Parts: sequence; C-alpha cells; structure tokens
Amino acid sequence: MSITEKTLRFSKKFPGVEWIDGTGNFITVDTPKCKGCGNCVKVCLADCYEITEGKARIKNLDLCMECGSCWYVCAEEAIVFTWPKGGTGFRTKWG
Amino acid sequence: MKYGYDVIVVGAGFGGPVAAKKCADAGLRTLMIERSENVGEKVISGLTIPIYGFLFGPAFIRDGNPPIERPVDGIINYIIKDVEKGDIEIDDSLMIPKPFSPIYAFGYNAYCQPFCEWEARKAVESGAELRTSTVVTDVIMEAGSVKGVITETGEKIRSRIVIDAEGSQGLVAVKAGIRRRYPPETISLADVYDYKMPKDLLDEIFGFSIRFCWGWDEQRCAPPLGYGNGLMVWPYRDSIHYVHDQCLRTNASSVPNLRKMLAEYHDNITSKLPWWKENVAPHAELRGHMWENFEIYVGLNQELRSMPNHTDGMILVGDVAGLESTELCDGVPQAWISADIGADVAIEALKANDTSRSFLSRYDERIKAHPILQWSISGKNRFNLRYAQKEHDLKKLKKLVHSGWGLGAITHLSTPLMRMLCRHIIVEPSILMKWSKMFCRYYFNWHHGRFDDSESLTHLGKGREGQEDDARLRTWFRPGQLFTTMVILLVWILAILIYPLTGMLNPSMKILLPVIEPIYTGLIRMSAPWAGRLSRRRVNRVANRDPSLFEV
Repeated sequence: MSITEKTLRFSKKFPGVEWIDGTGNFITVDTPKCKGCGNCVKVCLADCYEITEGKARIKNLDLCMECGSCWYVCAEEAIVFTWPKGGTGFRTKWG
Repeated sequence: MKYGYDVIVVGAGFGGPVAAKKCADAGLRTLMIERSENVGEKVISGLTIPIYGFLFGPAFIRDGNPPIERPVDGIINYIIKDVEKGDIEIDDSLMIPKPFSPIYAFGYNAYCQPFCEWEARKAVESGAELRTSTVVTDVIMEAGSVKGVITETGEKIRSRIVIDAEGSQGLVAVKAGIRRRYPPETISLADVYDYKMPKDLLDEIFGFSIRFCWGWDEQRCAPPLGYGNGLMVWPYRDSIHYVHDQCLRTNASSVPNLRKMLAEYHDNITSKLPWWKENVAPHAELRGHMWENFEIYVGLNQELRSMPNHTDGMILVGDVAGLESTELCDGVPQAWISADIGADVAIEALKANDTSRSFLSRYDERIKAHPILQWSISGKNRFNLRYAQKEHDLKKLKKLVHSGWGLGAITHLSTPLMRMLCRHIIVEPSILMKWSKMFCRYYFNWHHGRFDDSESLTHLGKGREGQEDDARLRTWFRPGQLFTTMVILLVWILAILIYPLTGMLNPSMKILLPVIEPIYTGLIRMSAPWAGRLSRRRVNRVANRDPSLFEV
C-alpha cells in the first residue's frame, strides 16, 4: 500500500465539504453521441459542464459531489459516469 | 474452487454494515468494501429515520447506542398559499401526544457519517473485514453466476456470494447487467443545507417536531412543487438540517434548470418564509451545503419495481434495489430491513451450498411479503401533489398533505404497522421489553449525549436522586417478574387476536377518520397542561435513571 500525501480542497460556495485530489477523470462525455441539449448543464449544482460548439464539455470536476444527475438526464447516454478513485473526491461530516 | 471470502458486501452506508454484521456473526468470512476513505463521509441525506426501522430492523441497532441527533415526535406541515403576505396554513395533526413524547418518538434524526461509522464498527467488531478507499467496478461473472467483485485496480476478489448495498445509482448492478439506469423522472435531487444553531433555541422553537412546507409553483418558494417534491426542515441537537428536492425530469421532455431553481428557492425560503426569517435566520449559521440523488418514484413504476433484486450469486439491498420510500423519502429503514433479510438468505444459501437465482428468490419473496417495505415504496400522496398543483386546487393539496404527513396517514399506515407489531410480538413476546427499553435508552442517550463512542458516561450514576425509582423500574424490567409477565402475556394474546383483523384497519380508519380526528385533537387540547407536566416528569425520571436499566 502506498501512502501519498493528500491534497484537500475547499470551496466558499459549498461550506462543510472538502475534496480530496486524485480523482482521475471519473466522468467523461462521449462527444460524438452528445447532441448538445444542455440537460447536464441545467442539473449540475457544481457547475461542472458547459456547452461549446453544440457539445457538452466538462469544464472541471473540482466541486463535483458525485450525485450522478448528469448521467441520469443524458438521454443520449453520452455521459460515462464512474466513481472517483477510492478515497478521493468529496467528503462531508454534515450529510 | 477457491474463495477468498464467503460474503462480500459492496458499500458501507446504512445497509451494508447490517448485512456484513449478520454474516460475520454467523461465522462467515465477510468483507465489506467502501469507496470512501472513512465510512459514511459520502453519505448524504436529510434524516429522520422513521421508527419502524428501529422497531422492525436489525436487533443490534434496536438494542444499541447509535449516535442520534434528536428524537422526533411530530410533523408540522406548512401550506404556503402566499409567502409575500404570510398567508400560510398549518396542519400539525400528526403528533405523538404528550405525556408519551418525547420519550416515545416517531423516529430519530441523525447525521449519516457518524451513524454509518457506528454501524460499520459493529460489523467489524463481529469479525467482518472492512476495506475502505476501494471502488468496486464490476462483478466476477462465471457461467452466468456472480463469483466475487472486481475493483478499480483490476483486482479480483472472490466470494461465494455478493451482497450489493452500493446505493441508489447502482453502478455495479448496472454494469453487471442486473439492473438498468433509472429514468430521471424517478430520481430526485436533494439539495441539503446544514445550519448551526444553539440547542436551547432549537428546544424552544422546534421542540421535537420536524417541519414540512408545501406550496404553489408561482411562489418560487417552498417547495419546488408541481412535481411532488417538498421542503423539509429537521431540528438536530444543535443544528438544523434543511432539504428541498426536485425530480430531475418533470415530464417526458423537460429537464428543469435545477442549479438556478434550487438556489432561487433557497434564497426565497430563507428570506421570506416568516418562521425562518424571524426565528431561525437571526440565530442560524450556515455550516454545510451538499446534495445527493435518491430514487424516490421507482416504487411507483411497475416496470422498474419488477427489476431483479437478486441474481445467481448476488443479492441487492437498500437503495440499489429501489427501496426508497415514495412518500417519506426515507431509505434507511428499508436498507436495514432488506439488508437483514438479505443476510438471512445469504446465510441460508451458503449453508445449503446453493447460491442460484432460484434459491435466492426467497429474498424477493420476503421483500414482497414485508408489509412495511411494500407500504413505504407505494405511497402516492407525494406524487399526487402534482395534480393539486396543476389544478391549483387548495382543497386537494390540503387533503394530500393531511393524508401523507398528517393524521390521515393512519388510513394507510395502520394495517402494515399493526401487522408488523403483531408478528413481532407473537414470535417473541419479550420484544415488548426491548422496545420499551429502546425508547428510554435512546432518549436517555440523546439527553446526555451518551453514545457508544462518546466519553460523557462518567457523571452518570453519581449523586443521583431517585434510587427508589431505579428499583421500581428494575423490577418492571426484570424477566419473570409476575406483573411484567402478565402484561406481556396479555399483549401477546391481544396480538394473536388482532393479527387476523389487521387487514381491516386501513379501511376502517378511512371511515372512522372524520370521527377520530375531532376526538383526538379535542383530547390533546384538553389534556395539554396536565400532559405537559406529566411529560416533563417522565423525561426527568428517564434522564435520571441508571443507564444499565435500559440495556438489553
């Protein structure tokens, strides 16, 4: 087992939550499948998505809370949703 | 064939540890795998765990000291007609009357993280192995049967059976082809805020009641209704939990702009809702903001409801099996109960050396025969709110709110609740003592902040008054004591007599509600001063007891 130093991130926007770095790109958009409907942009409370040139694109996953909303609403199944690497991603004591 | 483990449990949320503990207690080599670094830190909810979870769920929770934030003795429904003018109606009919409350409760509020951690610790103490920071990505499939799991690093861990308690997204079950991704109209996004607030103010303002708000869309306020969702506020020990939720899709074509909408509604609620503005806002400090999805309306969709909850070598428990309550939006009792049943079946299967789908179908049978589980995933009051909203029909809205979260709940809850109470009493009459002790112990623990992992035990028992009361209670709780035995016997006979009639309870309550309601509210009003005093006395008595009295 390797012990690596954890990098924690916080956001003023979402108090009480911290993010552990090293998640990897756990959500990806299969661009050819995307029709640019923008559903993912509308449901993402962490504002991870944007539409550029008629396609959804992940700006960054910094504030992602791994809820899967984007995955659920993608009618084209263009969003590939997996969990971030074990022991990384968001965490909170106040859930 | 070599197996590393007898049982692998995927996920250490509310359900996983229950299954893991039971399997470990049965002497099975059990591994629980959790993707977060520390158990519970990715579990989010607004949480009153309803009482049926504690009464009919796993014994170790009922008989233990889990960390709870506050008992709940009632629901106050605010029907917001015009928030600007403060035109709000109240339905507060669903209350446990004093003097019984707050010792007796409808449920207990809790933060997920410490609760899940407490459960997982119990499982580990029973001998289950816990591996954190590990993501299960798939199952090992051999000859059409699940033979273990595959982790993100590609590691294969073999087991004779897998219990999947991964939560509502169900990525492993979807990947393994057992279930499909849920359609967005069945999924609700719960936007959760946590506010710090002094305990004495919470005691005074909220007491032990939770608050629900229901209203019209054009209020742009509580709740983002129209689609059967609402706003719920829970008092915790020294904080408030606030959740409003909205389905991800409201009709076949329309996905609402939830980012904009939920933020706007939260602003409106906290700045316009009179009781929030006046009583909460000046004292509350925002401490947390997070969110999570839950599969609220899966139970109402026949096709989704009949998706498999087991396959060869694998059992699905809790949210991944679609067991979220459609009305109360709670999933914890269902996770506990299904995990308990799932573990039973897994143990039986391993004993019989048969983990085939046909053997495991007894899990499905027991889930379908469970009155509380079936009741919880089929309530339609919340869903039907959308029609009241669409027609702007206040009468209908009030009726649905009353039926869902007011006294009208007895028209659909009486039968399943009484059926389960009777079943438990008939099988194990002494459970009455366990329940009785549970209520006292939970209140005692809450009152003193005394949980398994807390350190504030020392002051108890020193210089206490009321040793006589201790003695009296000790006699009452002593097994074999004549009076206690007579009471238990009497209730046991009653349970046997009532059980065949429980099916008639709901229909009779429907007829009797108009009669019961005024009598009930009248009695509560009349007895209030006396009952209040008695309640305080009862609280003092319980809080001053020797805690060993309440141990099972």
